[in-house]
Amino acid sequence: MFNYNFRWNQALNSLPQMLEGALVTMEIAILSMVIGISIAVALTVFRLSGNRMLKAVATTWVEIARNTPALFQIYMVHFGLGSFGIHLSPYMSLLVGIAFNNAGYLSENFRGALKAIPDTQTRAARSLGMSAGQAFTSVVMPQMFRISFLPMTNQMVWAILMTSLGAVVAMNTDLYGVTSDLNARSFRTFELFAIAAVIFYLITKAITLSARLLAARLFRY
Amino acid sequence: MKKSIFAAGLLAATAAAMPAQADKLDDIISSGTLRCAVVLDFPPMGSRDASNNPIGFDVDYCNDLAAALGVKAEIVETTFPERIPALMSGQVDVAVASTSDTLERAKTVGFTIPYYAFENAVVANEKADMADWEGMKGKTVGATAGTYEAIWLEERVKEWGEGQFRPYQNQADVFLALSQGQLDATVSTVEVAEANVASGNFPGIKIVDKAPMVPDYVALITLREEYGLINYMNLFINQQVRTGRYAELYKKWVGEGEPANLTIQGVYR
Repeated sequence: MFNYNFRWNQALNSLPQMLEGALVTMEIAILSMVIGISIAVALTVFRLSGNRMLKAVATTWVEIARNTPALFQIYMVHFGLGSFGIHLSPYMSLLVGIAFNNAGYLSENFRGALKAIPDTQTRAARSLGMSAGQAFTSVVMPQMFRISFLPMTNQMVWAILMTSLGAVVAMNTDLYGVTSDLNARSFRTFELFAIAAVIFYLITKAITLSARLLAARLFRY
Repeated sequence: MKKSIFAAGLLAATAAAMPAQADKLDDIISSGTLRCAVVLDFPPMGSRDASNNPIGFDVDYCNDLAAALGVKAEIVETTFPERIPALMSGQVDVAVASTSDTLERAKTVGFTIPYYAFENAVVANEKADMADWEGMKGKTVGATAGTYEAIWLEERVKEWGEGQFRPYQNQADVFLALSQGQLDATVSTVEVAEANVASGNFPGIKIVDKAPMVPDYVALITLREEYGLINYMNLFINQQVRTGRYAELYKKWVGEGEPANLTIQGVYR
């Protein structure tokens, strides 16, 4: 029994506010990816390095990021750090939480990509007189990014969807936050969230399509 | 012979026409169960006892309504934002969930007359320098998302043009953030504020002032077009006050004193 009359007028009036929220959502997702990729590269290097401490740090990070819910991670950034007197705004808590999660997953992607690159590549580079660092940054790393490019877009899509978890840390300017705020006022639940879902779908679809086009251009043999 | 066929036909036609006319009120009576959406992290209106049974003012209110209808009550726990989806998807018949009767919401759902009214208090972290409610200006403030006081507070912050508003998902998170100092102040119902200060679960908070807002009248809600049920519930609320049950429930769940006056001087409903 679903006795609900869809009335779109009120919900559609709030479309501009929701689109503004969508911009914030994209901003957080992009920033979290930039931070996430930088950290993931560092973690990957840590794991390759012989140093035990660095290896332990990287492993711990990846284990926590991949094996606990993103919701928990974001909640802990806000309330967990909060109990130690470190107060991050909802925006920062969400950004840090997603970036933490991204870094963990991306680091695993990078590790998988590295495995697909034959050792002979490094050896050939070294025999041309490159240092170990040079060989990694100019021979191995570009290939690593190429192999893990599509998994990275996957993570980007996920980052977009994860912004909706910001509600647990009182985030109210992203797409989900704006929508639930509007919902509290007008109770037009189904209409508002249907619109939000369509916007989410369009954003993620645009990302996957443009990533595919970009990949086709960048990685032409 | 002919007459009896005619009578049978008439009977059949009446029977066939009946379901079309049955409204929610009839559905509830014939199903034998009244399903109420109640928010159970909102003491003293709704919470759970030590053995996890739903208790509170709203729970008793639902039981009373079911008894009046002569049916069994079924409490369905929802959060504040989930009340409406539960109602619309037919999981519950009514929401007895301290729902503030704003005009904006009345465009979507059907409200009864108020069955309770809250006063709201400003609660602050002891470290925040705040003498009265206006001290919230420019500070980081928050409240439970989707509530009347959250909507009010967000509007004040917009009006002041300074400070920050944060809507947390539930009452417990608001007070946790307040206790940690992530929030300087919050606005919540006097009942909740007093219970939380007294509980000692949230050290370092204090009640500062009353929030100067129109009392938060809350009503029962059902679908907008269910006039029969709304009409019945209006009379039920009237009877609750008339018979002294309202005062009794107030005493049981809120404490000594006079329950809020549910009439408004100088105007008809």
